[in-house]
Amino acid sequence: MLATVDSCLLAGMEGRLVEVQADAGNGEVKFVIVGLPSASVKEAIYRVRSAIRNSGLPFPQRRLTVNLAPPEMRKDGSGLDLPIAVAVLLAHQGLPPPRRSAFMGELALDGGVRHVDGVLVAARWLQRRGYERVFVPAADAEEAALVNGLEVIPCADLASVAAHLAGAEPILPLAPRELLAEPGAWSEHDLGEVHGQEEARRALEIAAAGGHHVLMSGPPGAGKTMLARCLPGILPPLELGEALEVAQVRSLLGELPSGRPVDWVRPFRSPHHGVSMAGLIGGGSGLALPGEISRAHHGVLFLDELAEFQSAVLQALRQPIESGRVTITRSGGSVSYPARFTLVAATNPCPCGWAGDSRRACRCTPAVIDSYRRKLSGPLLDRIDIKVSVRRVPPNLLASEPVGEPSSPIRERVGAARRRQLDRQGCLNAMLKPARLREQAALEPGPRRTLERWADQQGLSARGFHRAWRVARTAADLDGTELIDERHVLEALGYRLQDAAA
Amino acid sequence: MALVGSRRPTPYGEAVAEQLACDLAAAGVVVISGLALGIDAAAHRGALNGGGTTVAVMGTGVDLVYPAANSGLAEQIVASGGALVSQFADGTLPRRHHFPARNWTMAALSDVVVVVEASEGSGALITAQAALELNREVMAVPGSIFSPLSVGAHALLRDGAGLVQNARDVLAAVGRQPEVLDDPLAAPERVGFELARARDGLLIHLSEAVTVSAAELARKVQLPVAEVLGRLTSLELEGAVRRQADGYVRALRRSGGRA
Repeated sequence: MLATVDSCLLAGMEGRLVEVQADAGNGEVKFVIVGLPSASVKEAIYRVRSAIRNSGLPFPQRRLTVNLAPPEMRKDGSGLDLPIAVAVLLAHQGLPPPRRSAFMGELALDGGVRHVDGVLVAARWLQRRGYERVFVPAADAEEAALVNGLEVIPCADLASVAAHLAGAEPILPLAPRELLAEPGAWSEHDLGEVHGQEEARRALEIAAAGGHHVLMSGPPGAGKTMLARCLPGILPPLELGEALEVAQVRSLLGELPSGRPVDWVRPFRSPHHGVSMAGLIGGGSGLALPGEISRAHHGVLFLDELAEFQSAVLQALRQPIESGRVTITRSGGSVSYPARFTLVAATNPCPCGWAGDSRRACRCTPAVIDSYRRKLSGPLLDRIDIKVSVRRVPPNLLASEPVGEPSSPIRERVGAARRRQLDRQGCLNAMLKPARLREQAALEPGPRRTLERWADQQGLSARGFHRAWRVARTAADLDGTELIDERHVLEALGYRLQDAAA
Repeated sequence: MALVGSRRPTPYGEAVAEQLACDLAAAGVVVISGLALGIDAAAHRGALNGGGTTVAVMGTGVDLVYPAANSGLAEQIVASGGALVSQFADGTLPRRHHFPARNWTMAALSDVVVVVEASEGSGALITAQAALELNREVMAVPGSIFSPLSVGAHALLRDGAGLVQNARDVLAAVGRQPEVLDDPLAAPERVGFELARARDGLLIHLSEAVTVSAAELARKVQLPVAEVLGRLTSLELEGAVRRQADGYVRALRRSGGRA
């Protein structure tokens, strides 16, 4: 007897259909899996046999052949346990497979169905491919239920799945989940707790409004990390589509908390400066897994001590910063992950941290400072629109510094400025390329002259020129005006560090 | 006279060094310095402007200018009748331990050592120490009490170094001019540098020695930081303020009529 059930494996954010065919025939009693299974898929033989027996179901004492089609694709992962077991049972009992349904799940020896990573991604993909029903581990059912138009059957153990398929005891499908943004779930860091630092606060507001990347430079203890952590709190909450994309990346990594699969607060990731290329960009053996930049998708990637990162790792950020995606090729094939994040980088002005500080002397020689800054310069810095120096406030004066505006009114202004940009040009200002900048952010003769004069005097590169222009566009959007005037250009020119003329 | 100080001076220190060297060179004093960045370069530059002779005591072989940024200056020194001197053989590369030795040589070559802006541990203080041990006169120019770059010079003053307010103080110390230290402290008749002027009222809140951040300034004048930042940029464009790593300082301009 023959039975075929469908399952799906993941390659990055894409699914690949796997047809599981089981044949119970005459011959030597044996159980073989063919169709390029990896070592872990081959071991399914033992899990499936024990799970079926321990569920009180008959295991066919016949020659069992399971074929995983298409045979040229390598199959990896434990999600195929459940479909193999179901195919074996159906083949043995001669029952027809359920129509337009797919199965995913790992089996324990006692017949329990266990979690697999990426159920949300697989469910979305299957729904788009015309599937109407998925059988997924009960632990992952909430994830799958986020997908509209898909019936989700939560599977706790193999026995109940068998009973469901035999029509004896149907499992109730999980009710689809209505997704509503929950207001009030804000990040725990509020700009209202930051004393002073008006310049950096304003820089963050502009960065949030226009989607610009930011570099903060300042001595140790100036509050760079605190400021960076406040950024998610002044960004508008994730929209439904964005929240689902964030959830998909987490699902792939098995990091979605069950019970509350969708989070509306923008992600904040701060990898340590020792992070490897694979850790930051994505990687691993076989097929690459998402890295920190994809975990920060639609959120904030904070790189503290920028100069301490390996320069190869930093250079690898360029492509994702340009395109909002990262494509990684490994032996198992090429995968692509979303990675549209706001980069917030922090650095000391020199190795000892005190260069340029007028209250404490720096112990570094000019040559050392030079080489430290050279490490930072170059193509990555060229893509950071806003640079701001953060000054240390002595602890005894901290309390007397004025407390700033809390995050929520800033978030309102940022939201309004973002809507202006999306209505006008369909993207945030940071993504405007020079051609579109000319179209969407025309400069009056006065402000244009100022910008040109500055470029002349300071030897501003073309990139630097456009950076200031984009930031001026955002400053005008925060003001709620279409017209970019002199003030906006001058303010934009102020967001740079003293040594970096460009 | 040896004129030494920080490699990263404030605009104030740079202006002082340049002015002092210029006036002394014009009075016929040979200005000795170390051809380093900052105060040293300003001293050589000032002496050249004053039409005098200046000698660079180097920490490398005389055939190798370090830092390379000063090679143009080195050429001018030689062309104007000055000298590049070194105790090291030709081809000697810059090494950390060469510079203290060079500082001793500088002190030995001069009658008086004037320190302008030296933070704690600065090489200029080694020159001053050497001068004391070699029985040379040590003098210092005071700076802002808020600036870490003043610490070294102020410590010298407290320990008895001569106070330098203008070239006459130095000339008196080397015996070229009658004692002037008892003169009432009147404003100098001709100041070579002046604070930059501009119409913007923000300028009066800035100092030429201590940086003020845009945030502090905004608080002081009760304006939004965005506006202050823009106005500072505009002042920068006019050359009236200079931007440093942690804030802004008022720029000094050479007043009219100077070479």
